[in-house]
Amino acid sequence: MGDKALAMKGGREKASVFSVLARNWSFFFLVLTVVIFSFTGKNFFALNNFQSIIHLATTALLLACAETFVIITGGVDLSVGFVLGLSAVASASTMQLLYAAHWSAPASVLVGIVVGIAASLACGLVAGVMIARFKVPPFIATLGTMGIAIGVSYHICGGFPIGYLPPGLTDIGNMYVLYVHPASGAWSFFARPASIAANQIKELVRIAPISFILIFVFLLLLWHLLKNTRFGQHTYAIGGSMDASVRAGINTRRHLILIYVLSTFLAGLAGIVDLFQSGTGNFTTFGAQLELFAIAAVIIGGASLMGGKGRILASAVGVLLLKVLENGLNLSGVQPFYRYIAVGLILIVAVVIDQLFPDLF
Amino acid sequence: MARAGGFTTLIGQRWAMLFLLIELVFFSFLGGGFFTMNGFQIVLFYSTTLALLATAETFVIVTGGIDLSVGFVMGFASVVSAKLAVRFDSLGLAPELSILFAVLVTLAIGLLPGFVNGVLVARLKVPPFLATFAVQGITYGTSLIITQGSAAINVPNLANVIGNSYFIHLVPGRGIWFFTRPEAARGADVIDIIPTMVVVTVLVIAVASFLLKRTRFGRHTYAIGGNIDAALRAGINTRRHLVVIYVLSSLFATLSGIIYMLEYVSGKADAGSSFMLDSVVAVVIGGASLFGGVGTIWRTILGVLILSVLEMGLKMMGVQTFDKYIAVGIILIFAVLIDQFFPEMIHKED
Repeated sequence: MGDKALAMKGGREKASVFSVLARNWSFFFLVLTVVIFSFTGKNFFALNNFQSIIHLATTALLLACAETFVIITGGVDLSVGFVLGLSAVASASTMQLLYAAHWSAPASVLVGIVVGIAASLACGLVAGVMIARFKVPPFIATLGTMGIAIGVSYHICGGFPIGYLPPGLTDIGNMYVLYVHPASGAWSFFARPASIAANQIKELVRIAPISFILIFVFLLLLWHLLKNTRFGQHTYAIGGSMDASVRAGINTRRHLILIYVLSTFLAGLAGIVDLFQSGTGNFTTFGAQLELFAIAAVIIGGASLMGGKGRILASAVGVLLLKVLENGLNLSGVQPFYRYIAVGLILIVAVVIDQLFPDLF
Repeated sequence: MARAGGFTTLIGQRWAMLFLLIELVFFSFLGGGFFTMNGFQIVLFYSTTLALLATAETFVIVTGGIDLSVGFVMGFASVVSAKLAVRFDSLGLAPELSILFAVLVTLAIGLLPGFVNGVLVARLKVPPFLATFAVQGITYGTSLIITQGSAAINVPNLANVIGNSYFIHLVPGRGIWFFTRPEAARGADVIDIIPTMVVVTVLVIAVASFLLKRTRFGRHTYAIGGNIDAALRAGINTRRHLVVIYVLSSLFATLSGIIYMLEYVSGKADAGSSFMLDSVVAVVIGGASLFGGVGTIWRTILGVLILSVLEMGLKMMGVQTFDKYIAVGIILIFAVLIDQFFPEMIHKED
């Protein structure tokens, strides 16, 4: 509280330094955790580890982006975690069927992706129509579509991951952009250099997983959509005051439906990414709580559940903070169970900071 | 015209009960062994833990909040009580005493998560969704650390005797026994009537219902959910009241965990992981509003019965249990749409 008084009484410069710090505390906290784990974690400070943290955070990043849009409008989307599973399972079973029916691998993969995305769009459409047209609270509407997504995805897969998919999925999903062989100086894009034998594969330095490109493109697109376009302005306006935006002539119903469709689209995309990375169609388990961790990341990024606040890049920092924490605690030899406690404590810190210094955000 | 209106109003008000009746008739015809005394007792036995969680959730939802932590507080309580019972037993205490002490200590520990929730929500103005989610993570992590990721077992067998006992045992032609199963000859019929845990649950729910409906505490709860500013101006100590509400919620969840431990003779960190949403769904099907101020315990119990009859009925029909979730999602949407289209029907009598 002393700092707060200082910030209020002190000169503008001091206040602004402090507010920049408080506004971006999650970023500085992320830097701090990286520094700490670099000392405590075995092999934490390594190119491979950093790359794998981000690579494995791809789906969580997409879910957090989805949740950011919804939370800015003052809603919440509980369905994203299980829509991810639905999309993965629906596309995987389509691929499996078509490939077994002697379709070519690329054709069956493409049709599978379309089916998975379509299934997830349907969930968002149902939730959006209920929320926008029938004024159902978002919590309940997305809880309903979540139930349906759980049921349909378990019905499709019977409680087991779907295998026997067209070959090459993981080759694409876990491909690196650049391969360098320092000893011979050989390098190539997207595949191991032809001059390198299979037994030398450990000497290769692999740089930038393909998921970096996907994440970079989507973060950039969504950041632009939220920050610089009319769509983004309307999203903030609806979250700030629904009545005011109706009077300002925004078609709030259509906009809200689009927001929920966008949310499940990103969740469906995350399901496809998961399919490519793991090579099997994984359903979402009950303990996963993907949606709750996505919401936590968005809140850690400084958004408010009351709506009107939130930034894509800050949400991404929130996701990375949670993932670095998980990875770093693990490599420091801490039991994985402690991560639930750590996430809970950080979330409390985030919200209490938001409550104590509301004027800073 | 007026009569038709009256009729739809009646259906609108009673749709949950009507739906439960339809379910019962449906499964009586299609579920093998559903329409037997054992079938009904199994449904009731199965719904004890969910009913207590939903009762906890009702109090919180009536104030306009939500408690995401109940499921994992239940798991936490099951783990703590199981571990304590084992520990007291190994100290050489009699099984009765070790279970009694374990239950009492667990009830005391179970107040903690609720207290943290309450302080965060009432003092620090953290949205209930986030506060209880954070506490959920902390309780889940703690119970995983206690059990090292596996189930807590080796609970004294007395827990099994208590948890799976029946109120009345009837041996045709020989007499009637209470609480203890008679030593009947092999092959003799023993008819077990009313599981003890169902009796315990019904008693707890009756007390909760009385508390919400007939006491000043209950009236204040509705007042806070209806309009917290007005409640404040009316002189209600809303902060203290909210803390008590979350502690109460945690207490019911703890009871649910203890009953789970007695019924299944083990403690599991994720015992209630799928119950968290089921409990919210039950409350909403029961006609409560997430905006607060509306909701009663017995309607919540109606919601609980709809869910557990659905689950057990589908199981007895041999349908995959996952299909339950599709049905739950549709019922939930249906419940809210009815509420949206006919608001005056649902809330008239409250």
